Amino acid sequence: MGKDMGNKKKSKSSRGLRGFLHLLQHLLIAVAVVAVLIVTTGSTVVITGLHGNESYSLHASDQEKRYEESELFNTIYGRAVADIIRFGVVRSQLETDAEFDGKKVIDVTAYNYRDIGLPEQYVTARYYLEDLLKWSKYGLEYSESYMTMEQAEEFLGDKTMLTIVDPNSKYYNTSDANYLKSDIGSYTFVDDVSSNMMYTDGDVTEEGYRAILVNRYKTVEGMNLEEYTADWTSYQMLCDNLFMAMDSLSYNYEEYLSYHDYYAADNTNIRYYIEKTVGDHTEYFTNMEDFDFVAMSDEIQDKNMAEFFREQFNGKYDDDTDKYLYYSPSEMIYESNSDIEESTVRNIVQEYDYAFPEDIKIWIAVDTDYPVNDAFTQGLAGFRNYLPYFWQWIALAIAAVVLYLAIVLFLVINTGKEIDEAGKNYTRLSGFDKLPTEIAIIIGGIAACIVCGLSIVLVELYDDILTYEDIYTVWFKAAIGIGVFVIDYVFFFFFYSLVRRIKAKTLWKNSYLKRLVHKISVFTLEVYDNGNIVIRTWVPYIIFLLFNLLMIITGIGIVVAIIVDVLIGIFLYRDVKDRQNIVKGIEKITEGNFSYQIDQNNLHGDNLVLAKSVNSIGNGIKNAVENSMKDERMKADLITNVSHDIKTPLTSIINYVDLIKREEVDNVRVRNYIQVLDEKSQRLKQLTDDLVEASKISSGNIVLQFEKINLTELMNQTIGEFSEKFEQKNLTTVMNVNASNVIIEADSRRIWRVMENLFNNIYKYALEGTRVYVAIGCVQIEGETQERVEISIKNISAMELNCNPQELTERFIRGDESRTTEGSGLGLSIAKNLTEVQNGTFEILLDGDLFKVVMTFPILQTK
Amino acid sequence: MANILVCDDDKEIVDAIEIYLLQEGYQVFKAYDGEQAIKVLKENTIHLLIIDVMMPKLDGIHATLKIREYSSIPIIILSAKSEDSDKILGLNIGADDYVTKPFNPLELVARVKSNLRRYTMLGNLNVENNALFQVGGLCINDDTKEVTVDGEAVKLTPIEYNILLLLVKNCGRVFSIDQIYESIWNEEAIGADNTVAVHIRHIREKIEINPKEPRYLKVVWGVGYKIEKQ
Repeated sequence: MGKDMGNKKKSKSSRGLRGFLHLLQHLLIAVAVVAVLIVTTGSTVVITGLHGNESYSLHASDQEKRYEESELFNTIYGRAVADIIRFGVVRSQLETDAEFDGKKVIDVTAYNYRDIGLPEQYVTARYYLEDLLKWSKYGLEYSESYMTMEQAEEFLGDKTMLTIVDPNSKYYNTSDANYLKSDIGSYTFVDDVSSNMMYTDGDVTEEGYRAILVNRYKTVEGMNLEEYTADWTSYQMLCDNLFMAMDSLSYNYEEYLSYHDYYAADNTNIRYYIEKTVGDHTEYFTNMEDFDFVAMSDEIQDKNMAEFFREQFNGKYDDDTDKYLYYSPSEMIYESNSDIEESTVRNIVQEYDYAFPEDIKIWIAVDTDYPVNDAFTQGLAGFRNYLPYFWQWIALAIAAVVLYLAIVLFLVINTGKEIDEAGKNYTRLSGFDKLPTEIAIIIGGIAACIVCGLSIVLVELYDDILTYEDIYTVWFKAAIGIGVFVIDYVFFFFFYSLVRRIKAKTLWKNSYLKRLVHKISVFTLEVYDNGNIVIRTWVPYIIFLLFNLLMIITGIGIVVAIIVDVLIGIFLYRDVKDRQNIVKGIEKITEGNFSYQIDQNNLHGDNLVLAKSVNSIGNGIKNAVENSMKDERMKADLITNVSHDIKTPLTSIINYVDLIKREEVDNVRVRNYIQVLDEKSQRLKQLTDDLVEASKISSGNIVLQFEKINLTELMNQTIGEFSEKFEQKNLTTVMNVNASNVIIEADSRRIWRVMENLFNNIYKYALEGTRVYVAIGCVQIEGETQERVEISIKNISAMELNCNPQELTERFIRGDESRTTEGSGLGLSIAKNLTEVQNGTFEILLDGDLFKVVMTFPILQTK
Repeated sequence: MANILVCDDDKEIVDAIEIYLLQEGYQVFKAYDGEQAIKVLKENTIHLLIIDVMMPKLDGIHATLKIREYSSIPIIILSAKSEDSDKILGLNIGADDYVTKPFNPLELVARVKSNLRRYTMLGNLNVENNALFQVGGLCINDDTKEVTVDGEAVKLTPIEYNILLLLVKNCGRVFSIDQIYESIWNEEAIGADNTVAVHIRHIREKIEINPKEPRYLKVVWGVGYKIEKQ
């Protein structure tokens, strides 16, 4: 009882521990995920740049540095440098003297060739910048119209105006930005070429439909585009150049606007100054409006640029933490107190070499007082918030994951483990675990769908609303943590259930599929077991044939057919094997192994019936044999006990009869009576002894002590013992020994008992004055290797033998059946049984009055 | 004369035995269970005890065991149990003789006499004589050609005497019929002869109380004959 209580308590406490671990497990994974989230968000910073929000990584190695030394700062700075150089390019295209100039004249062909350099001669047209930008917004339009040859010739100008670059000029075939050069005019000239002379080779003006550009704006010269050329090929090229220049310019204009705003002095902590000189013309771009560069222009010219700015800037801001760079390729100067390398700047500038000649000076600095809220201040905020316990958070995440895995492992091993009252382990199933597997799977699927669906819905709902900043908030992390907790909880609820099912072996057992399979197999077997011989043989055979035929006809199923045929072959083999087992069982039972049982498992149909019948026959025989053995033993015990009880009063009877005999009794009749009493009491004594002996032998209740027995000696001794008795009846013994000194193995006292009984039998029932023949000889019995010795004893019965030989060895049968003479009637039965237990055979033969007993024993050796 | 205690829970048997013993001149004490027997034994001088096995209170086996702790008087067990195992048990725990019921009264009396003689005469024999052979109560004086069993003279024919002498001299050794024949008749045995067996039977009848359960001259069936060492 106390132990039970202990067990219960123990199992209850272990259940409590498991419950706690379950909770801890879900908490741990939530903690791990949140920690990872914190680490990720804590190591990145989101900055609003020109093109929206961008995420920048914080580097753990920067933790100890100042912001201005960090990679983050340098990345932002680098991007700003690239932006500003690009801005400079755009500005140079759209501005004149650092101001947007709508009236700027754009040579469309030259503009398109800005990257690759101008060809020797080209057709072009020049427009005002603002016209091009407006036209681009509106879009180019073409009108399709049918023209005759005359109309087509009429439409184009009389001459093609070619712009030819002076081959001696420095602009010839270079990639310098010729269209910007104010002095380009002096190196080009316009040549009017007759329409038939150039550009018209093979270009026969034919009648047909032609695409004509709608001239929304006129050129600087106030002309239409078609008037600049006399052939259609040039006209087409001109149109294309116009379109591309317009497209590129309008894109740049958009960029110009955003750069202009983003890098305006009020919006950025960046200060820049780019100066470029083409020939004797110098342009500069800057966001430092408070400097009058034009006024200071002469001064700047004379001074070292870098030094000048250093002075200017440091003088103004008086802060040597400010970062700056100064690049002047013509002077071979690169100077910076930042980590931006010269090659980086050089590469950026080289991309726009059409816009930047060698004579360029770039100065870009960051005011590290950060008076303006811009990318740098955002970066600074992120940097300052940078995770102080970065490694600790990572360690926490790893520890949580490791502990989580350990708990999962522990729970997988221990889930559902219980100890029953008998102290045995078993797997305790929860209510959910007891549901059929398929239902559990469906519920699990639904739960998974709900969780997935919910996540998708949440993502869809908040995807647009959520910004980078939200990710950095506490509530977002908490929500993720709770979400992970819930998902983990739901998943492991089903997972542990699965584990318990596997452990308790109910995964398959407790499934509808199993029940279905079982039902089908039971049904099939039932049909097979209960069907008649036709159903059991012809139906499967026909199905088999049809199946094979079908499979082979359709062609595809040959493999299937082969597999099925092999399976059927295996089935037939097993069927025959089962039958062989039954035959073996029958043989065993026939041999006397009645307790042998044929294994009935996996047997079906006739085999099952056969096996059951054989087993029950075997059982019946076994029970019968056991019962008869038990009965014999009980009988022997009963006889022994009863004989003891009889002996005590018998002792008194014998004693007192003897005492009466000793009295002088004159009456002859009384003396005769006493004689009868004496004889009968003596017979009673003999009877009880014989009874006990016979029952003991037949119930196998005796212990034999085998010794070597010389048969001749035994016979001589026996004849000697009976010599006087035989003399009384005038019986003569004739002994005929053909095999002298044969040794057999027997219990000496028991074999004497056999002989004694046989000779007593002769003494009692042999005809007086006859001869008794005793013969000993060797015989070979068929089918046996060992030679046997045969003892035969013959005598003439005094009375008619009116019974069969077998009956004589049955108990209480005597040849005369009168039962008046001395003897219990058990003598021959005892002799036969004793002979047989000593491996001998005992046979009685009757031939008229000739009574013959033949015994054989296996010969041990011959002397 | 000797005092004999007869102990059996069957009063009639005790009375019958008493009659026989009184006829032989013994004084008889009676007891009806083991405890009574022990009590009588302590209170009187008893020379021999006849005791039954199956008795109330204290059975014959346990009584014998107790008595053997302080007394060496002859004890004859008288029992209805006739199995070999019963006899072996009785003799092993200290009984001198074992008689099964129903018994021949004369045999019992003879056994009583034999046991008493041995008990009272033990150690009186002159064993220095070279011609004197003794096995238990069986004595052969080769000088006088006299044979006594428990002091009573037995008459034997010369051949019987020679056979017995041969067996007693080689006490414990088993002689086959042929061997006995050759040594007594000094002729080669041709087998198939039961003369020796007949003589042996005669000797047994003369020296044994119950020839069917001989004490001295034992038949080893199928082998030969021997005098059992006592």
